[in-house]
Amino acid sequence: MDKKNVAENNRARRVKRNILTNMIVIPLIPLFLAVGISFYYFTTALENSSTHSLKRIVGDHRDMIESFLMERKSDLEMVTHLFDFESISRNQVIDDMFEVLKTKSGAFIDLGLFDSRGLHVKYSGQYQLTGKLYKDEFWFREVMEKGRYISDVFLGYRNVPHFIIAVKKGEGENAWILRATIDTLYFDRLVSSVRIGSSGEAYILNKNGIAQTGRRSGGVNVMEEDPEFSAFPSSDSTIHTFLKSDPQGVKYLYATTWLKDLEWLLVVRQEKKDAFRFFYYALYASLVIMVLGIAIIVGMSFFMTEKLFTRMEQLGRDKKDLGNQLIRATQLAEVGEMAAGFAHEINNPLQIIKSEHALITSIFDDLFENKKIDREDEEILELQDSLSQIELQVSRCSDITRAILKFGRKNETRVQLLHPAEEIPEILKMIEQKASVEGIAVFQRIPEHLPGFMGDASQFQQVMLNLFNNAIDAIMEQHPDAGGRLDIQGQLKDEKRVEIRVTDNGAGIQPEHIEKVFSPFFTTKPVGKGTGLGLSVCYGIIESFGGTMDVTSRVNEGTTFIITLPMAEAEMQDQ
Amino acid sequence: MDKMKLMLVDDEERYLLTTAKLMEKKGIEVVTAQSGSQALDLLKTHDVHVVILDIKMPGMDGFKTLRAIKTLYPPVEVIFLTGHATMDSAVEGLQFGAFDYVMKPADIDDIVNKAYEAFEKRLRLDEKIRGLTSGSEMDPYDDK
Repeated sequence: MDKKNVAENNRARRVKRNILTNMIVIPLIPLFLAVGISFYYFTTALENSSTHSLKRIVGDHRDMIESFLMERKSDLEMVTHLFDFESISRNQVIDDMFEVLKTKSGAFIDLGLFDSRGLHVKYSGQYQLTGKLYKDEFWFREVMEKGRYISDVFLGYRNVPHFIIAVKKGEGENAWILRATIDTLYFDRLVSSVRIGSSGEAYILNKNGIAQTGRRSGGVNVMEEDPEFSAFPSSDSTIHTFLKSDPQGVKYLYATTWLKDLEWLLVVRQEKKDAFRFFYYALYASLVIMVLGIAIIVGMSFFMTEKLFTRMEQLGRDKKDLGNQLIRATQLAEVGEMAAGFAHEINNPLQIIKSEHALITSIFDDLFENKKIDREDEEILELQDSLSQIELQVSRCSDITRAILKFGRKNETRVQLLHPAEEIPEILKMIEQKASVEGIAVFQRIPEHLPGFMGDASQFQQVMLNLFNNAIDAIMEQHPDAGGRLDIQGQLKDEKRVEIRVTDNGAGIQPEHIEKVFSPFFTTKPVGKGTGLGLSVCYGIIESFGGTMDVTSRVNEGTTFIITLPMAEAEMQDQ
Repeated sequence: MDKMKLMLVDDEERYLLTTAKLMEKKGIEVVTAQSGSQALDLLKTHDVHVVILDIKMPGMDGFKTLRAIKTLYPPVEVIFLTGHATMDSAVEGLQFGAFDYVMKPADIDDIVNKAYEAFEKRLRLDEKIRGLTSGSEMDPYDDK
């Protein structure tokens, strides 16, 4: 029995574990899929939009810088078209020109006129550069060759970083050059005016990787070489975007494009965590959803499994109870049928024995009458005694068969409304005498208003008498002289059922017997004292009333029989 | 009073024998039959007042026998002898005209008492019939 229970418990635990696992795992799959897929697409879209916006910015910025340089160059070209060398060489003219150019753009910081030999003929600005010879300067050679030139940032005679725009007019000996210097501060501001997020910055490198502008983040100053340059894409006109760590290990999203005839590289970059901050928001949101989802699923699964199992256990118990009841009922019916057939067959021989007995008695009477034998003869008396025993035993047999037959079949019953508070005291009166002789105190606690049930009065009486007599027998066994106690208690079990309890403080029922007390022919009484049918008949009667009968008992302490009966419908309305 | 003529029908031969002896001692004229068909045969030749009929018999059972008797010999009163299990048919038998039933195992005195009750009824019936047949020629009694 214990082994079976352990096995059953193990099985239940296993089933529970499986249910729990399934309840957790199965909802997790769609959760993971939903969150995973939406995270993937969302972040891809975010990444694309971040990259795209950076590309757009770098493109716009390039166009803006290009057009700035183009405009400054056009400014100078306009001057060279409008004036000739002589007119510019005149005193004050270049100063006036410079004033006009400054009104067009604040980027100009000085303006100078050079002849074809590289002599700085005229100069307007804050430095003293007039008369200096530039024929070996790199820019001078370039402009003489190409006609116009925009330089990289360099130090020059003034030893301050700057870059120049120079335009040539005329050819050969008559050629002259107008040169303007662009304010690097102004240009820096222009380039770095890009603002993206909190860490976005833009700067320009020349084709040797020398910084042409400063940058917000510091690190590489103007004219210094950018160590990252070698990693940037080589010259072409398209825009490149890529992720890269700078030498300090900070990850950046870069966008680069070449401008100024592929001489300068415009770099726009933004720290990755800044550029992709929405990506991280999405990641955190997904993680939070995941964690919450998992917590909810796990919590719910535990809760549901627990609930399910409690319910299943309840159902299991109910099923077992029902099964037991069915088995008991079937046993009763089968045994009852068999017993009835058996009793019926026994009745025929009993009938013959009875007739024979009657005949013998009648013959004896004849013999006495005819004085053929002596009524006082000892042997005759013995025969007479033996004969009366036959009569007694036959009637005992017929009592038994009648009891069996009564158990096996339904008598005509008259179902009526019975009230425990009226019926039970009447029945108790029948055993009161017997109980008081045996020193048994009888207590009854049956509320006046206890609802009634439907049943046959004499059958109910039979049940109660049977229980009372059993109780008295049990008490006699335990308390032969005094101290016995019999309690009859009536109460509402629930809104549809009443309960009657008959409790004694008698010998109790052995645990191994308790399951059999309602079985037919089960008795612990000595042979001839009980048929073993009493309780099974009671059980059948209570069942026919639509009720149930149960028993609890402790050895040497007593027994309680519990009868539960459905309340009569008429009574229910009164409640 | 006429002497009661009684027929015992039971498949137990020994029971018939003993009971017949006992009844004859009590001054009752007894015919015995071991089966329903034998009982019907005997009724052709014997004028019987009351039949004690066991319900459970092999062949023609008590119930069929009762219906035959009541059809062929309506004035004959029938008392069923029944084991408990066949009481439903005993009650049904009452509806088909049995006088009463006795439950096995029965005291001989019980059977005899019931038989006398039936016999008295039979006598009253005979009386009535005689009165009718002799009192009015206009309303002749047709062999019922």
